[in-house]
Amino acid sequence: MRQAKRSALTASPARFLSPEFLLAAALATVAFAPWLTAQNSTGSPQIVVIRQMHFEPSTLNVKAGDKVEWKNEDIFSHTVTANNGTFDSGLIAPGSSWQTTISKTGMLVYHCRPHPNMTAELLVEQPGGHEQHEHGGAPGEGSQASLRWSPPMRPDEIHPILVNFTAALLPLAFLSDLLGRIFRRQSLYAAGLWMMVFEAAITPLTVIAGWWWKSTEANDLPAKLVSVHQWLGSAAAVLFLVLAVWRWAFHRRAVPPSWTYLALAFVALLALIYQGSLGGTMVFGQ
Amino acid sequence: MNKLMSTVFGLGLAFALGPMANAQAPTDPQIVAIVQTANRIDISQAHLALRKSNNPQVKEFANQMISDHTALEKSVSDLASKLGVKEEPSDTASQLKQQAVEESRKLASLKGKDFDREYASHEVAYHQAVINAATSTLIPNAKNAELKSALEGAAPLLQGHLQHAQQLQQSLGGATSGGR
Repeated sequence: MRQAKRSALTASPARFLSPEFLLAAALATVAFAPWLTAQNSTGSPQIVVIRQMHFEPSTLNVKAGDKVEWKNEDIFSHTVTANNGTFDSGLIAPGSSWQTTISKTGMLVYHCRPHPNMTAELLVEQPGGHEQHEHGGAPGEGSQASLRWSPPMRPDEIHPILVNFTAALLPLAFLSDLLGRIFRRQSLYAAGLWMMVFEAAITPLTVIAGWWWKSTEANDLPAKLVSVHQWLGSAAAVLFLVLAVWRWAFHRRAVPPSWTYLALAFVALLALIYQGSLGGTMVFGQ
Repeated sequence: MNKLMSTVFGLGLAFALGPMANAQAPTDPQIVAIVQTANRIDISQAHLALRKSNNPQVKEFANQMISDHTALEKSVSDLASKLGVKEEPSDTASQLKQQAVEESRKLASLKGKDFDREYASHEVAYHQAVINAATSTLIPNAKNAELKSALEGAAPLLQGHLQHAQQLQQSLGGATSGGR
């Protein structure tokens, strides 16, 4: 009986070569391939030169997700400061440069803080082609364009997608193990184990995408909320890893997860709910 | 009150820079000296602001004046060396210096918000007066093409400083140049 339980809970390495696993790997490759190729095509930044108290060109067309670099070839220090507060380079010394990734579509007017008479603009289009202005775009065309699928390339697209996996896997892992304890079902333990492992694997990617997002839009977000969200998220990734290793140990010993483990998983779940509410506040407001 | 002080200061500068229009046209060496004097005055008053003010916006503005006018001074100095032009004294440069001494004395007697407001008002009036002098007298009278082009190139910088000074003046609750 003990032997049978062990064999049901232990997966041999050969199972990783099963047709199901290979199919999943192939699907994952297909899903991420366009993203990887798109990253290569947006590698080199577009250049704006600051010279003789002017931004050149004064209007630059870019695609969302593009990098733009400002090179200061003037004899004075300047800043590149978005009028809507999205970014601020700080002082760029003569001979230095600064770059950022532009994430939102629409017209973005910017200026130099010390010299307010220096202004210029970026016209940011959708990466796929047709322009879809955030402000004042044609509603018909905009709603059509939004139905078209384009691979997620920007951190503000990738982070919310990954967050869904992080947010779903932990409660389901906890619930599966809890119900497994109550109904003594091996299939529920197996679900609890693997979902915790997937949770620990995917959350670091969620965290990386979150930090990336913060690095591109730090000035546009409430500093205190971002600070708590980023560190709680990073700590959660570590906690999930600990939980996954712990959960794996129960599996190796072929015993059900302890109540202490379930209690810690529940605490992690509460932290995740709070973390989600912080993220929601930053994206959708109060 | 600040508006009045700013107007009085502007009139003073107009007297200092005004004779250039009536008297004989300044020579290139005199133009270089006037520009460099104007640069040094603004740098020196910015240093005074850094010492006396506790307002971060005022300090930021003062640091910018030091940085920009030092760069401008160096560029004019490099150009003068290249062209073989040596600074020569003029009544205008002397009056500018005299005016600056009086303004510095006034600034030194003020503290806190009064100092900040007077400094901002002075910077508005000063840059306005220098822009007027540059466009009406210095640029038209510059004989050397490179010097003329350099002066024309400095105009947007002075305009930028004027706008920044006006923003500073507004945020400090002072009057804006030109009135309402």
